[in-house]
Amino acid sequence: MEDLIAKSIRAKNRRSVKGQMRVVESIMAILIVISAVTFLYYFASAPSSQARDASELEKIGHNILHDIDEQGLLARYVYRSEWGNMTSALAVSLPINVYFSLSVYDMNNNPVNYPFLMQYGDEQVFSSSAAVASVTYIVPGYQTNYNPRILVLKLVNG
Amino acid sequence: MRLAKERKGQFIIIAAMLLSIMIVSVSTVIYGTVTYYRQERWEEYVTIVDSIKTASCNLLQIGLANYTQTLNPNVSRDYFNRWIRDVRNAYPGYGVDVNYDLASGIRSAYGIVPPMNYSLGLARKWNLQTSYVASNATVNINIASVGLTGYNFSSNVFLKMSIRGVEWHIGTGNWYVLMYVSVEREGLDPIISLQASNFAPVKLGGVPQNFTMKRYYSSTYKCFIYEIKVTSIVSLPSSANITLVDNRGIRTISYTENVQQL
Repeated sequence: MEDLIAKSIRAKNRRSVKGQMRVVESIMAILIVISAVTFLYYFASAPSSQARDASELEKIGHNILHDIDEQGLLARYVYRSEWGNMTSALAVSLPINVYFSLSVYDMNNNPVNYPFLMQYGDEQVFSSSAAVASVTYIVPGYQTNYNPRILVLKLVNG
Repeated sequence: MRLAKERKGQFIIIAAMLLSIMIVSVSTVIYGTVTYYRQERWEEYVTIVDSIKTASCNLLQIGLANYTQTLNPNVSRDYFNRWIRDVRNAYPGYGVDVNYDLASGIRSAYGIVPPMNYSLGLARKWNLQTSYVASNATVNINIASVGLTGYNFSSNVFLKMSIRGVEWHIGTGNWYVLMYVSVEREGLDPIISLQASNFAPVKLGGVPQNFTMKRYYSSTYKCFIYEIKVTSIVSLPSSANITLVDNRGIRTISYTENVQQL
């Protein structure tokens, strides 16, 4: 009888130890998966969309001017001196935290939009930004007239 | 015996390790895919080429608009000659060199019969039931500073207007003329943004008329139609003549003597 009881206790202890091992294994498995996910979070996180370097700003600036041109609006804004509309079109097209200053010149490098300032963002943003890009875009004319204008768009990260 | 039994228990850890390896591998591939473009250096000359290309296409359009207003056959050549000089000034230091070749001779396009006959990059057929104007040029861009040579592209501008039908309707004290017109541009894309002011003047028997206009898709003609209505026409008009100036400033004139009485 005593033998039977002793056997039963030993078997119970073995099962208990086995059960504890399962818990330990589960904890270790969870730790492994968590460490893998943590590794990915720190070392393979996607680049932040807010941080843009100069070449990326250049791409953005060129694409926006090209899109406005494709819609047939760029030449109209430039040759009808719709500087307010031009500023608004750029401001709504650019991503948040990207500021710009646009100047329009004729072929003799005389500013055409003077004294209207096509700018979005204060002076502080322009002077403190680490990434600055400049895009030159040329518009040959409007309707029937050849009269090129050179657009110089400066972009900064806020 | 004991060791054999305990080997079974390591399954969870092995499974977790395999899972982790899979997560890391898949994530690495996805990360590489979504950030691939960042490894490709954005060269400034790409924007210059694209800017010159877009501007050259616009220049062709401006030249055609000028030609249809002034009928100066040299306008595209003059504009391109000025353009290749101005581009060098616009991008100093890049060694930008633009050359052009204006279309010349007979070319088939857009199902126009007989084929279009270009001269100095321009072609025109007016005062027909289907009228058109077209401009075509091949532009070559070289940028010496980055060793880019021989970048070629062809550009064309086209405007076609067809008078699909002219009907003189007789009612009780209500005589009117309906004209059905379709308008297409390059790529044979229908132009659907025209207003009545784009169609002035509309002439019947050579006399300018006041008219109203509406646009709809016609199942009869299988295309978008501008329906032009002229009221108080008491006799059968001998001809219909419609001038169109589209939103790009390009003009074309269609004419027909085929007026049906209904």
